[in-house]
Amino acid sequence: MAIVGTFACEEDFLAAAENLKSSGFDTISLLSPVPVQEAQDVLGLGKSPVRHFSLAGAIIGAFFGFGMCVVTALTFILPTGGRAIITVPPYLIITYEMTILMGVIFTLIGFHVVSELPAWRNRPYLPCANIDRFVVVVENAADSEAARAETIIREAGAVEIQHVEDSE
Amino acid sequence: MSRDASLTMFDHGQPSYAEVNKDVLSVMLETGPRYWMLLGGTMSVAAIFFFMPWIYQLFVGVGAAGMNRSAVWGTYLSNFIFWIGLSHSGTLLSAVLHITNSQWRKSIYRSAEAMTLFSLMTAVLFVMVHLGRVWYVHWSFPIPNQMGLWPNFRSPLMFDVMAITTYLIASSIFIYMGSVPDFAAVRDASTGLRRRLYTIFSFGWRGTAREWHTLGWAYTFFAVFVIPLAVSVHSIVSWDFALSVVPGLHHTIFAPYFVCGAIFSGTAGIVTVMYCLRKFLNFERYIGQEHLDNLGKLLILLSMIWSYINILELFGSWYGGTSFELEALKFKLTGFYAPLYWEMILFCAFVPLLMFSRKIRLSWNKMLVVSILINIGMLTERFIIVATSQPRKFLPDAFGFYFPSWIEISITVGSFAIFATLFLIFIKCVPAISIYEVKETLKPLRRNA
Repeated sequence: MAIVGTFACEEDFLAAAENLKSSGFDTISLLSPVPVQEAQDVLGLGKSPVRHFSLAGAIIGAFFGFGMCVVTALTFILPTGGRAIITVPPYLIITYEMTILMGVIFTLIGFHVVSELPAWRNRPYLPCANIDRFVVVVENAADSEAARAETIIREAGAVEIQHVEDSE
Repeated sequence: MSRDASLTMFDHGQPSYAEVNKDVLSVMLETGPRYWMLLGGTMSVAAIFFFMPWIYQLFVGVGAAGMNRSAVWGTYLSNFIFWIGLSHSGTLLSAVLHITNSQWRKSIYRSAEAMTLFSLMTAVLFVMVHLGRVWYVHWSFPIPNQMGLWPNFRSPLMFDVMAITTYLIASSIFIYMGSVPDFAAVRDASTGLRRRLYTIFSFGWRGTAREWHTLGWAYTFFAVFVIPLAVSVHSIVSWDFALSVVPGLHHTIFAPYFVCGAIFSGTAGIVTVMYCLRKFLNFERYIGQEHLDNLGKLLILLSMIWSYINILELFGSWYGGTSFELEALKFKLTGFYAPLYWEMILFCAFVPLLMFSRKIRLSWNKMLVVSILINIGMLTERFIIVATSQPRKFLPDAFGFYFPSWIEISITVGSFAIFATLFLIFIKCVPAISIYEVKETLKPLRRNA
């Protein structure tokens, strides 16, 4: 079962999140209409692993870009005025573009992996969290813990508390 | 850029969070007959002025255009540069202002990025038109074909293919990722098929702290990648010309000249688009005088850099002193197309100086006129680059003349209708203003706020 608490102001929402976290609830989700830095701090979200994807993509792109130029030049040889078949300066431009292209694509992949999206399963969600409300969700709470979580959320100043069945 | 405290991003007071959702989504979800008439009109113009002449050209051959033996590049390529240039400010400005955490970016960047995307698509269409036998376009990509042919990556034209493909993909991802939270808002506000579609588009976004955190990091990395990419794209477009040895084109200044011109015309394009958003989509509340003031100041700066580079280009040609460079310079300044050259100077170097007047800078109607004049000047600039260089290269017996045919003029007119059509479709598919980022500029939902 999931406990879903709705808050009208940010301070109450953050207080609930902090109290739940300090009381040992680890499976909490904090939903907000805009990014809230303090909420991310409560969950201990530091530097995102997305940056590793970006770096890996850029490096792979650089090698791929240069490699593609070399392989195409060797596959279809075009001798031009006695110049080298593998000409580094123009290939660096293609390398540069492929570095960026792969960096962007890998960042996109990183976003999906780290944020666990797309998520097609039905998860506790209230549309008001995308308008002007803050929502705390305690997921997979056992009956005894659910009551404790509800108390914490209510004491923090929730305007509404709902019980929702978890579903996969 | 210093902030004028008397100006505001919200001309009619700050809206509430719920009002932002309602105002922005109503533009998407409520469609009146005026919209359909406008869309029908732009699509008809695009079909009649762009696609029908193109089909005619496909049947009779590329000779239907005004290009000839000495002028093998014409209006199609000058339009290609113009549209690539127009694409520059959207994503670039959005990325730069994101990195610098500028608040005024937040209500205008979505439409500016859309402008980038649709300008790029229009530009790519001109390459297709210029190619003649467009069904061979896949030969320019590094993919296997029946002849065992592979592209030659030493050619600037191949730099172009790679740069523009990268820019198109990166810009698409950049605008899409920034829209995901807003797609979730559309999903929540709609029913039926639209709801199902936007459930897919939003990836099941809930707005959790983890999702915001990851999006913030990813978006910043996208911005970091996009800035050097945008600069490289127009540098590479300039090398299509500058890496040749044609007098009037073979200048080292061309890369910064093109990049500056691109940002200049793109910023003017943003002013035009913002005017239309305010006027026709009722976004007066979200696009305020602070946006106009900042864009005006940016245009003055860009105009002055553009003018300086133009002087440098003239000086370089004169100081070089070679007969063929001097001939190209003389033809540009006093030849058949000289009136167009001086019109360009008037519109791009002198008209923007009017914006030193605060009264003009803060008037939407006057700024609309200035922004359109700048883009007429920039379109002319691209035409002059192509039309005054190739037909006047080296020996007089190789001199020719280029004048666009009715097909080229018609396709040029039609391209604006294509851009308008794409933009009209966009405003019904994607929130034209970023809902969540506008909310970030409002007072936070706190007790003491």
